[in-house]
Formats: sequence, structure tokens, C-alpha cells
Amino acid sequence: MKLYKKEGNIIQILSFPNETVEKGDYLLIEDADAGKALIAQVIDVQFASIPGILEELLRSLPDGGEVVEGEDFDPLEIAPHITYIQDASLLVCKIRATVENESLSPSSSWLPSRSQSMIKKLSIPTLLKLAKMDGKLPIVLGGTKDASLLTIDASSLDGRLNIITGKKETGKSHLSKLLMLNLVGYKGMVVVFDLNGEYLSLGTTADGKRNAYHDKIHVLTPSQNFKVSLKQLNLHVLLGILIHALHLPGTSTREFRRIWQSLKERDSLTLHELGEAIRNWHCNQLVRDALFSRYHALVNSGFFADDVGGTMLVEECLFKAKERGEAVIINLRNTSTIDRQIVVEYVLGKLVELLSSWKVKAVFLFAEEAHLYLRETYWDDIVTRMRHFGIFTTFITNQPDTIRENIYRQADNIFLFNFTNEHDLEVVSRAARVDAETVKSIARDLPPHHCLALGRVVRDFPMVVRVKALDVKAMGETRLFFKDN
Amino acid sequence: MDTTLPQRLIELSLYSLKHAENQPLQLNQQTIQQNNNIEAHTQALKLNPQPITLHTRHEETIVAAVDTSNIKIGETSTGTLIAIRGANVWKQNRNFRYLRLGPFIFHITEENKKEVYSALQRAYFNSPHEQNYQSSPNLLQMPMRMSNLLERWLQAMLSKTISSGIILFDGSLSSGTADAPISLMKEILETARKKKNTVLAFSKMTNLRFNGHLITDFQPTYSPPYLLETASLKTKPPIVLLGDVYVAKLTNGNYAFRLDIDKQVPSTQKVEAVEKLLGNDFFLQSYPETLRLAHILCTFTANEVIAMQHFISRKHGVKIVNRPDMHRLLFGPFGRGEAYS
Repeated sequence: MKLYKKEGNIIQILSFPNETVEKGDYLLIEDADAGKALIAQVIDVQFASIPGILEELLRSLPDGGEVVEGEDFDPLEIAPHITYIQDASLLVCKIRATVENESLSPSSSWLPSRSQSMIKKLSIPTLLKLAKMDGKLPIVLGGTKDASLLTIDASSLDGRLNIITGKKETGKSHLSKLLMLNLVGYKGMVVVFDLNGEYLSLGTTADGKRNAYHDKIHVLTPSQNFKVSLKQLNLHVLLGILIHALHLPGTSTREFRRIWQSLKERDSLTLHELGEAIRNWHCNQLVRDALFSRYHALVNSGFFADDVGGTMLVEECLFKAKERGEAVIINLRNTSTIDRQIVVEYVLGKLVELLSSWKVKAVFLFAEEAHLYLRETYWDDIVTRMRHFGIFTTFITNQPDTIRENIYRQADNIFLFNFTNEHDLEVVSRAARVDAETVKSIARDLPPHHCLALGRVVRDFPMVVRVKALDVKAMGETRLFFKDN
Repeated sequence: MDTTLPQRLIELSLYSLKHAENQPLQLNQQTIQQNNNIEAHTQALKLNPQPITLHTRHEETIVAAVDTSNIKIGETSTGTLIAIRGANVWKQNRNFRYLRLGPFIFHITEENKKEVYSALQRAYFNSPHEQNYQSSPNLLQMPMRMSNLLERWLQAMLSKTISSGIILFDGSLSSGTADAPISLMKEILETARKKKNTVLAFSKMTNLRFNGHLITDFQPTYSPPYLLETASLKTKPPIVLLGDVYVAKLTNGNYAFRLDIDKQVPSTQKVEAVEKLLGNDFFLQSYPETLRLAHILCTFTANEVIAMQHFISRKHGVKIVNRPDMHRLLFGPFGRGEAYS
């Protein structure tokens, strides 16, 4: 390999056919005289611009597109040299760091010698060693191309905002399960908003047996084993549901607050009493109608009940999880849009309540397709305010444009699966911790189950990894009509 | 196939390259690879304005063509590295086939130029044709000389191996120069005739003029294909014309070429040969495809030049250096440097 050109932090390297370098590979460009080396990542492989190549190709097809057959008497064996030159490739690389005295700096301000520099492939284990990616809480993500394991540190997810994105059926949920189970393994408290019931069987192996996580996965299905009584509710949480999920206007909210205070003073916080209170409350008819419609929405959701015996309290689950490290799966499958929003508002409100009172230290929140249940204003809340309370969110989506640009800008880690759509790649490339060229070039060619890890987890050295398999029962598969028995 | 020439070419190529080992090589590129076919000095000629109209003959006839090219790869401290390559293309049963020889790379120095050239002549033509011309070939002319030598051998080979066909040469049938010795050219044409072949030589450029205008610019208002016959064409010694010269306009458009047809062939056979060519080859811009292919196949591309430089540096340890071009250095943008762009 030969150093050809450097423009900004893009470096172009001429590579010959016997040197097999692919997109995503890392190269070390060592300048022994300067005592420094550049670490560059291949983001594109192109044909080298060889003079006369067009003539060469045209010559091979001069007969109306058909190859002219013949014999070449090439005694000096120049033809292999021609092929060697013709097949030379140009590696477009992004400079990631400079190595000097075994320490890394993100600088790309110096120029290695074009004639004297030695260029060689940098194996992932060597890179990981150089980048000092050797935390105490390892999570093996999977294998890299050079058959080594990519291990990240769980602490690099702590206090961070993560995004897992890619097109359908590329393995996003699989990675999120892997991260989630590992966090649970390190006694992390995890809450999952499970839209499609994909996380329900994480406690069982693929062949239906109990696995190590069996006792650490708690599934809460609203209106089944997950109900709340009004007495357990904080007014603040309920108002959040009414305002944000059920869009109760301000005047009606004020009246509701009064009704609530009145019932509380009388120790009559039941659904029945609430209904009666609204019916008999002295207020404008329109306000009453508004309150009644919301009341019926709450009742019809099945999530609220006066008798919650036999159901689980989210606090209890979270307290247990705090002690042992567990995952609370909020099963949102078969839940209507409104009910889903009610449940999510409740859970988030409860989490903030518990976190702000320091009853719970921190929570890792996994939110699948969050745009389907998260109100607009929560996006900013989650990435700014709630982070300070200790909610560290991982968004999982196959529609990257449903996540706001400011969320991408603040994302600490991005796990990017294959995308072919230019628009999708454009959206993801707005993330602050990645460069657009890397995202657009590498993500487009990722095979299924391979992801490009970007951000803190990989010390800002984007790496492609084949996500390792999990021995858990697969759920959430698409139901097919044309499927063999 | 007679492989005597390639074998000797290889030997000489390798022998000459041994002397280039470990020398620095200055890059250079010659843009014109083909023989310019500088025409022999001729005196005023006459052009018969009455065309010979041609009727396409579709009788299956083999059409074969020869072309060679040469290129200077670079300069060493003692000489020049050159490469030559030749191609025979033939069209038979509606299919084109080719035989391409080379590239042969030579390190030509003042010391070995005569030896290399004479050795090749002896090996291939085994005759004293060139005693008058070979005495001191100019180093600058050597690429052309060497490729012409290969071209004559390829022409001779075709004239021996093909029968009842049409053989296309690139250039004219003028002889009497170092590159086209009379006896050798006569021998090639005679062999071709014996095998019932007709040699047609197409010149891409001509300096022959009629009434002050290039003969190829004279285009009467007849519809092609036709030939215009020339007469009274006399050459200055030692140049000898071995062919009758025509202007050939074989397709519509503005292109016409000088066409030399073996003088010894009867007139009817000459016209018949062109008519058979029309029926057995493709024409684009009045130029036969077989000859075009021969040219395309032997021409060196920039990629091949780089590959040959790579070969020399790898196999013979020649270090490639890019010395500054003195014209560029002294005259800046006004310098007519030959450096790669």
C-alpha cells in the first residue's frame, strides 16, 4: 500500500490486488522518522484512476460488444503486470487518531511521509488495546471481520443516550436484547417498553427451558397483571396522563385538580367516586363533558381499577430490580394507541417520581419505536432532564426520521444496522459523534446482523461487528400467511 | 507458426535488459506510437477523375491485417528503454481473431543498437537486404526501426500462411528505405502473390497532391464505393513504388484514403480484391475494421506503459526516477515538457 493523497482528514491510499482491504478495516500509517503513526479507517474502496484504462476496456470489446478472440504471445509476461496495475484500488480512509508514544490523540494535523511511510492493516484487538478499551464490565457484542471479539464496557452505556437503528429485520431488537441482558447481568435496572411483545420470553432458552435470566425478567401487561388504583397514583402523574395522553384542556385540568383534592380529603379515591364527583361537580357543562370523556377513557383502558389485588405494583418491581438487577418489561402489545400512551405516561411519571426522591438510583430505559407512544415533549425531556434524574435511554427504531435531529446530536452511542435508503442515512449522519461519510459509506453495505458501532462504546473508532447469537426464545417474528407448517 | 522471430526477439530483449539492471530510469512518454509513414519524395502526379466504381463481392474471402507500434518507456543513463508490439488480425467466417506478439522491451544503447538491430535482421530475413541502411541507426529512430522490423516479419508471415485472401498493410507500398528495403518488400509481395493473396496498403495520411490539393481531398460527385486511379507518379531514388496508388472512398462521408495495391497484380484482380474487401469486412469512415483492430490491439495504453515500468523495476531492478523536465524547469508554463499530466 502506498500513501497517495491527504485532504483534511481524508486520506487516500493506493492498494494493490494482493493486499486485501475492505470497507471498515483499520490501517496504521507509520512514519518511523516522525515517530508517529496515523490510524485511518477505510470508508470506501474505489478503482484507482489508472491512465489509459478506458482504452484498455474498449479494446477488449471492439467488435460490437463481442470479445475478439485471439492469442497473445507475451514472452516477458507483462500481462500479469497490466492486470496488477488495472486492479489497483484506491482506499478512501478517514483519519481517526494519531499514535505517538503509545498514546492516542484525535489529531490529523501532521502529514506522514509519502515515500517512507509503512502502511499495514491494524487488527481490531490491537486497536482495542491502543484505545484502552478494557473496562471492568465487558459486554461481548460479537465478532469482528478478523475473527476477534468486540467487547464494549457496560459503563460506556451508563448515563448515555443510545440509538439502535437500521432497516427491518437486520437485527436491531436482537442487539437491544443483548445489551439489556448484559446490563441485567451487571445488576442494572432495566425498563423496556415492548411494543411487539418481543422481550416477553427472554427468560427462556430457544428450546423453551429456563435460562439464567428467568427470575430477572418481569413482564407487566397493562390491564392484566399490571393495574393501578387511584390511591396509588400521584396527582402529578395522573395529570400528566390527562394532559399529555388524553389532551385535557387547561380549564378542565383545574377543575379535575379540585375534584381530586376533594376526593382525597374524603379518602374516597376510587374510580366510582371519581365518576360520581364529576357528575355532581358544579362546573360548566363543557368542562364536565370533557372530564367525563377522559374519565371513561381511563376506565375503558382497564389499566385503572379500584381493586388491584393480584397485580404487580411497578414500584415493587423496580425496588426488586434495584436490589438484584432485573428487567421490567412493559408489554404494550395488543394495547390501543391511547392506552399505550396512558401506560407510558404512568411508567415514566412513576420513574421520575422514584428517581427524584432517590428511591431508585438509575434506570436503563429501552424504548422500541418510541414515536408510537412517546409524546413530543418527552423527547427533549428524556435526553436532557430525565438524564439528570438517572433515566438512560436506548431508542430502537427502523424509522430514523421519527427521532428528532436534536436527539441524534446528543446521542452518545449509535448502533447502526443496514440502511440503503439515502434519506435514512442522511438522518443518522446528523449525529454529532459520527461523520456523514462513514455512516453513508459503511452502513449501506452492512449485511444482516452486522452493525456499525459508533460513539463512546468504541472510543469513537467506528467498528463493524456481527452481533452474537443469543440463546433466548425468539418472539415478535412477523406472522406470515404463506408459511409452511 | 514460424516462431523464429519472437524467440530471437525475446533473447535480445532479455539480453539488452540485463544491461539496464540497477540503472535509474527517467520516465518519458512518446505520444505517437505508430509509424508516420513519411512518404517518399514524389513528383507531381495525375489523378483520373473518372472513378472506378466498385460492386461489393460477398464471396467468402479471408481478410487479414498487420500493424505494429512502439513506445519509449524511459531513458537510462546509457540509453533508451523501448517496447514494441505487433498484431495480426484476420476475419474469417464472420469472426475476428488475432495474434498479438509482445510487448518486447529493449534497452537500446549507443553500444548495442547496431548489434541488436543487425542480429534481428539476420535472424528474420536471413538476407543482406539492409546492408546499405543498417550502418548506423540513430538512437532516436530505433523504436521505429525495431517496430518496422517486427511489422515486416508479421507481413511476411501473413503472406506465407494465408492463401486466396486479402492482406491489409498499414501505410504505403513504397520501398527503398531502411524500414522498407526493396528486396524484402518485393519478397513479401511475391510470396503473397504465389499464395493468390492481394496486398492492399491503406495510408492514414498522405502528402500526395493533385493540382495543389491532397489527393484524398479530391472527391468527385459520385456515390461511393469507388477508386480514383493515379498516374505519372514518379519517385526519387532510392524510393521505389511497389504498388499502384489509388484514392479509395469506400463509404459515405468525408473520408478517403490513399490505397496502394500490389503493382504486379493484374488490374482486374486489384479491383476485385477491393470489392471482396467490401463484401467481407466492416467499414467505418471508409477504413477497414480488420486494420483498425490490428492498430487498436497493438497500440500501447498508458496503463501498459506503467505495467512495463513496473515489470522493469521488479524484474531488472531498474529504479524509476522522475527527473525534472528541463523545459518546464527553465521556461515554466512555456516549456513543452513531455511529463505525464
